[in-house]
Parts: sequence; C-alpha cells; structure tokens
Amino acid sequence: MYSEILKDHLARPRHAGEMKDANVRAEQTNPVCGDRLSLFMRVAGNRIEAASFLAYGCAPTLACGSALVEMIEGMTVEDAARIKREDLMRALGGLPNRKQHAAALAIETLRAALEAAHL
Amino acid sequence: MRRVYLDHSATTPVDARVVEAMLPYLSEKFGNASSVHFFGQQARAGVDRARREVAALIGARPQEIVFLSGGTEANNLAVRGIAEASAAYGRHIITSQIEHPSTRGVMDALEKSGWQVTRLPVYDDGIVRTEDVRRAIRRDTVLISLMLANNEIGTIQPVAEVGALVRELRAEGRRHLWLHTDAVQAAGRMTVDVELLGCDLLSLSAHKLYAPKGVGALFVRRGVRFIQQIVGGHQERERRAGTESVANVVAFGEAARLAVEEMAERTERTRRLRDRFEAGVEARIEEIVFNGNRQQRLPHLSNISFRYIEGEGLLINLDMQGVAVSTGSACSSGSLEPSPVIRALGRTDEMARGSIRFSFGKDNTDEDVDYTLEALTRAVENLRRLSPLYLESRPVPPALI
Repeated sequence: MYSEILKDHLARPRHAGEMKDANVRAEQTNPVCGDRLSLFMRVAGNRIEAASFLAYGCAPTLACGSALVEMIEGMTVEDAARIKREDLMRALGGLPNRKQHAAALAIETLRAALEAAHL
Repeated sequence: MRRVYLDHSATTPVDARVVEAMLPYLSEKFGNASSVHFFGQQARAGVDRARREVAALIGARPQEIVFLSGGTEANNLAVRGIAEASAAYGRHIITSQIEHPSTRGVMDALEKSGWQVTRLPVYDDGIVRTEDVRRAIRRDTVLISLMLANNEIGTIQPVAEVGALVRELRAEGRRHLWLHTDAVQAAGRMTVDVELLGCDLLSLSAHKLYAPKGVGALFVRRGVRFIQQIVGGHQERERRAGTESVANVVAFGEAARLAVEEMAERTERTRRLRDRFEAGVEARIEEIVFNGNRQQRLPHLSNISFRYIEGEGLLINLDMQGVAVSTGSACSSGSLEPSPVIRALGRTDEMARGSIRFSFGKDNTDEDVDYTLEALTRAVENLRRLSPLYLESRPVPPALI
C-alpha cells in the first residue's frame, strides 16, 4: 500500500519540529479530514537555508511534510515555487489515489509559505 | 527483525493441529460430500464430525449448524433471512450502533428497501442497555440483532438478558420476534452457550479460532424459519446451497474442538498478557484513554486512544518495528472516517483517529509484550514530536530545533 520510502519518512521524519529562528511560517488545514501541516523556513536572500515541519493526520500527510522539507532545503525560492504535487509524490515513491490529497495539502502549504517569503 | 503479531481479532494463524486434520481432505479424501459413493461418504463423515464439534462449541445440536463462507455471510443470512421470512408480521429491526460492518451493511440495505431500523446507543462504556432494548421493541419488531462482543473494543453485550426478555415476550404470545447475535469475536474467547444466551441465530467464523479463512457457520435454532439466500442446491438441509468446502469445514471442526479443550488456558494467558501490556502502557505513556468498559470485555483485546496523533501513522511506525496492530479509523480521499465504534462512545474525532486495537493470541509471550511496549513508546514519542496538536497542548514549549 505504501512505499518503503514513505514508511522511512514516518519512522525517521526529517527536520521535524518548530524552528525557533524561522522567518517564514505557514500552516494549512484540510477542512474535510482535519489534517494539518505547518511549515517553517529560514530564508536568506532568495535561498531557503533551513526548513522544518509539524504535521497531524494520516500517514501520507506526515510523510509529505518530511519529504517536502528535505526537498526544499537549500533551494532558491523560485525553484521551490516550481515543485508540483507530482514531484512530491514521486519523491515518496508514489501515493495511492485516495491519499493524494496529502500531497495537495503539502503543496498548498508550500505555496502559502513562499507567498509569505515574498512579503 | 523480531515480529510480534497482535492482531488476532483480524485473523489468527492456523494451528498446526488444524492443518494436520484438514490435509487428508485436500488429497485422498477429496470427495463431494453430497455424493453417494465411497469418496463422497468419506467427505460426508468429515463434515458430520465437524458439525458435531462446532455445535459443541456453542452448546447447540449438530443439525442446528449451517456451514457457510464466514462471519459476513452468516450475518447477512441471519438478518436478511429472518427479515424476508417475517416481513408479513412487521418491518422493524433493533440493533446497536457498534455492530460489525457486515451487519451494519445489511441493515443499511434493508432500510433502503423500506425497513425501519433502531440502532441503540452504547454510552461511554460501549455497552447496550437491556432496558433500552425493552423500550425499543414495537408491535412490528421482528428481529433484534445484537453482537455478543464487539470487534474493536471487545465489550460484551447483555445478549443473555435480551434473550430472557425475548423469551418472556414469547411466553406472553409474541411469536414473531427473533434474536440474532454475532459471536464471531466471542467464540473461543469466552463461554458461548446458545441456551444461556437464549438466541435464535448465532454467527461464527473459523479464522478467528486458528482455522483457515473462507468458512464459518450460522446456528439456527430448531423451528426458526428463515429464507435461504444462496439457492440452487440441497446442501445444508436446504438452508445454504453450494458444495461444502470440506477441508475448511473439517478444519473448523478441529479448531472448535481445540477451543473447547483449551478455552480456560487460552483465556487466562491472553488476559494476563493483555493486563500486563495495559499496565505497561499506563506507566510509560501519558495522555491515553482506554476505550470501552474494562471489566465487561473479551480477555484478549485492548483498545487505546493515543491523544494528539493519528492511528495510521502509529500503525506503520509499529509495523516498521515488527509489531502488527490495527486501527478502526481511515482517512480516504480527503474525507475522514473515524471509527464508528469509538465515535459511538462519545469520543471526539481526534480521539477516534488515535485509537489502536491490540489483540493477543494463545501463542503470544511475555517477551512479545515487553518488545511491544518499547516499540510503542518510541513510536508515540516519534509522532508526538511532529504533532502540532501535542505541542499546542504543552504548558511550556518544548526544546526548539
């Protein structure tokens, strides 16, 4: 049902927790199922120097948070803005159809964070 | 990696003695139990013996046992079979809010075709009140279907009290009111006796008793009329058509025999392991809630809500450490389906989402409990570290990264 990559993110989440010196924060909630994702970034110039996350919800939501921060750390804001839902799902070794909303929530949270970074 | 199986309410491994008993019926004793010749009669003898053994498990007569494909079919046949046979006397059924999906499903289907269904509450302890059953009975009630023990939280329902109530009404001349109970989780884990329960129909499944999947039984008390659902053959005394799955039936019989023989030992063992496990969880993990009445429940099962985290993540974390458990909640296509059983206890969505069922079996050990406690403590800490709900609930913010 879930890939070994996804399970590994669950067992060893990357950069989990609130970031004290973050200068960008965003949070999105899926109003239907109640899943929550918070994203913290430290952005200097146009580069994402560090990223971390908090998540509540089903397994793919937690794994998407972990995979996303691993992916964006070190990226420019412009490159991060180009990440799509499919990229995140690929990084997790795929997601079952009925769980793809988890990747959608992660990308929405990223977009909200990047918007905040531009302000 | 060490593997610990704590999902015996989902299914059990087939006992080696059961495998041994069924193997000849997959090879030399391959006959069709309906055939008149030697091969057929060999198979028939196996089925007959199994029928006696399964009947003995529940204190029934062999001819009151109908073999079929499993618990789901048994529940479907009982509810629909009685409903169709009794529709002339009324179209009202009483059941509970925490029945197995197979019973829930057939109730929902009947409701769509014009039946009225009363689903009784279970309060915060997961138990239906007999008084509520009494109050719900109407002139047009033809069936009460109440599970003997719940599959998610293990709570034991007052079926014997309801049985006494039905007998009382019958003595007053109420001839068309029947009592069905789903004993799939209870059989082999507590004493199940159809006379003590006073039920007219009772569902059983073999694979919860260390026998293979694909076989079960419905007890139908002598004299109870129901409409056959699978037609086109004379098998099972015209109550369920289809060639008997002889090897599976024989396995079911042997498993039932062993369950009777070893009931006290299995019950004592699983209860001791379960209680030690629960004491360990309480000592190690904060903010947990035990679901369901802790006295009136099956001895092998524990259902716990771990606050601030979701069951699926916990299940996978445990699985990665070799521990197999289950959760009743599911999040599918962005819509949340928290366990209806945990919700029926009046718990919040968050509590229902964080519920995990641990179900012990006869072959689990103290080492299994110790290993699971360690794995569980790690998994809960791991997930709470990620949880915004957990961090918000802390009086002082935790160490920041």
